[in-house]
Amino acid sequence: MRPARQPAGRFRFFPFRLRGGLGPVIGLVFVVLLFAVLGPAPFSSLYNAKTIVTQTVIVGIGALGMTFVIVSGGIDLSVGSLVALSTVVTAVALNALTGSGGAAGPAAPLLAALAGIAVCAACGFLSGLITARLRVVSFIVTLGMMQIARGLAKWLGREQTVMTPVNWLQKAMLVDPEPGWLLLAPGVWLMLGLLALVAVVLKYTVFGRHVFAIGSNAQTARLCGVNVPGRRIAVFALGGAFAGMAGVMQYANLTVGDPTAAAGMELDVIAAVVIGGGSLSGGEGSAAGSIVGALIMAVLRNGCNMLGAPNYVQEILIGAIIVCAVLIDRLRNPRTV
Amino acid sequence: MRALSLVSGLLMSLCLAAGCGRPSGEPGAAAPPAIAVIPKGTTHSFWKAVHAGAEKAGRELGAEVIWQGPHKEDDRQMQIQVVQNFISRRVAAIVLAPLDDQALVPPVQAAVNRGIPVVIIDSGLNGDAYRSFVATDNARGGRLCAERLCTLLNGTGKVVMLRYQEGSASTARREAGFLEGMAACGTDIELISTDQYAGATIEKAFQAAQNLLNRFAEIDGIFCPNESSTQGMLRALQTAGRAGDVYFVGFDANETLLKAVRDGEIHGLALQDPFRMGYLGVITAARVLKGEPVAPRIDTGVILLTPDTIDTPAIRALLNPPPAPDA
Repeated sequence: MRPARQPAGRFRFFPFRLRGGLGPVIGLVFVVLLFAVLGPAPFSSLYNAKTIVTQTVIVGIGALGMTFVIVSGGIDLSVGSLVALSTVVTAVALNALTGSGGAAGPAAPLLAALAGIAVCAACGFLSGLITARLRVVSFIVTLGMMQIARGLAKWLGREQTVMTPVNWLQKAMLVDPEPGWLLLAPGVWLMLGLLALVAVVLKYTVFGRHVFAIGSNAQTARLCGVNVPGRRIAVFALGGAFAGMAGVMQYANLTVGDPTAAAGMELDVIAAVVIGGGSLSGGEGSAAGSIVGALIMAVLRNGCNMLGAPNYVQEILIGAIIVCAVLIDRLRNPRTV
Repeated sequence: MRALSLVSGLLMSLCLAAGCGRPSGEPGAAAPPAIAVIPKGTTHSFWKAVHAGAEKAGRELGAEVIWQGPHKEDDRQMQIQVVQNFISRRVAAIVLAPLDDQALVPPVQAAVNRGIPVVIIDSGLNGDAYRSFVATDNARGGRLCAERLCTLLNGTGKVVMLRYQEGSASTARREAGFLEGMAACGTDIELISTDQYAGATIEKAFQAAQNLLNRFAEIDGIFCPNESSTQGMLRALQTAGRAGDVYFVGFDANETLLKAVRDGEIHGLALQDPFRMGYLGVITAARVLKGEPVAPRIDTGVILLTPDTIDTPAIRALLNPPPAPDA
């Protein structure tokens, strides 16, 4: 059943990874079938499928960034706050750009979104810098960044939600997209594009292999000539940038900058990665798995709504799924926990 | 595989234990119209009363009332998802207490685009996609509290207002109404702090209130604009040993706050009528479904509770609404 342990750690690229990758997909199929049988007819409708996929976007994009961080053996607790910060920066930048009568029109929302992403990437870079250079564990550094980013968001937003004029960005997360030929919300396409990108980067680039190597065994990776601190900083900056993109989608959904948004979302994001086969001890995880993990949680929320089940049922269910996913992780790698 | 079957087994048993295996596929023809009621949260007793009112209306109308709060209390994103899920589920109408006056506009518009009418309760929503707004006149409630505090203080003293949360329209109106009322009270009233926010939970309100009390040694009057901020402030006053020394007027009521009124620690509570809000919300939605005309704004009333009026029949009726059947 189990592969022979490799002396160099769990850095492996053989078919067993595929088997591990299929687990979350089977889980997803299972919960979908479960609700298709138990739930009311509209659960199985195309419109509901579109709804669920749209609801996955924010956690999904955050989870793609978190996949880099977790595979490299780190953790980023600041994601929820970064999402909120990104919504506020995007909104404030948008108001500044359109208010001065400058770059109004289609360019302003794009620039504002880039500003939001850049600020979050900078926060991630800072977390990575402190983690890698000053050797403080990422749990603590990002716990601090979680507070800092939340505070920054509230300060920038003057402790209020930031209203913005109508713009095309606000249409990025509509379940029925405009124009209709897009079929899915632009945010969903963005998530799918990023999924492909991250999957390729993780599997086929030197950077991706380094990230796996660091997560499997940082010492060995260093001896093999990998620039461990540099890669770690890049990983956290990437994680921040993805959180920023998730934040832009959150802004699209809320249509306002919201400093109190996404409180506790980092836990959903981490759960998505873990359900998708990521290991908190590093060296394991995949982009597709993380998206599937996010989808599983969205299906559970949606399905319990459809059934009219009270919220606590859904909370217990998601909790159970997370624990089971980690249990599977442990069964696969008995020595890691 | 072993692990997977473990997961499925666990899921199954959980589902059965939780009772979500309700039989599906009732024939659509005879089914009563389903009206979804979406509160801001489910744990405040205020929302339990709204729930009771909604259920009563449902029973009278023979409509199915589906009660579902956001999965995380006071999380705008989660509330948007609940609205989206009800659109997907094709309910007949939605009664919504929006957590944000702007963020909930797109999902409400999406519902209307799909032919599902929306009635807004409790807090306002921008735009005009919804059919009716059924709520307390919050500014009037705030002014009522200011008048009470003004009488208690004889028009002079240092006053603190602890705000509720950023972006909440209903409480912002109460706060504005209170400030307006205080300004009318006279020039000897000094508002020493009006810019602090309590946050969503009692715990956060407690900490914010403690910080405020530590900052100001001398406070004569306090106002809080909702249940959780009032209760957090009360606890902070109690732990600081200052309860009863400061005139304290709050908004909404629960067991703890009523006991504090009897103990002389709270000197006034503005009471809304959440039961009536839930009831009229569902009734209005049903009217819309029948094609009857409805008023764009329906006021559900505010009454001030004081130590003197706490046992009057009108207040008692407000405090003890009939319970929700399965809450």
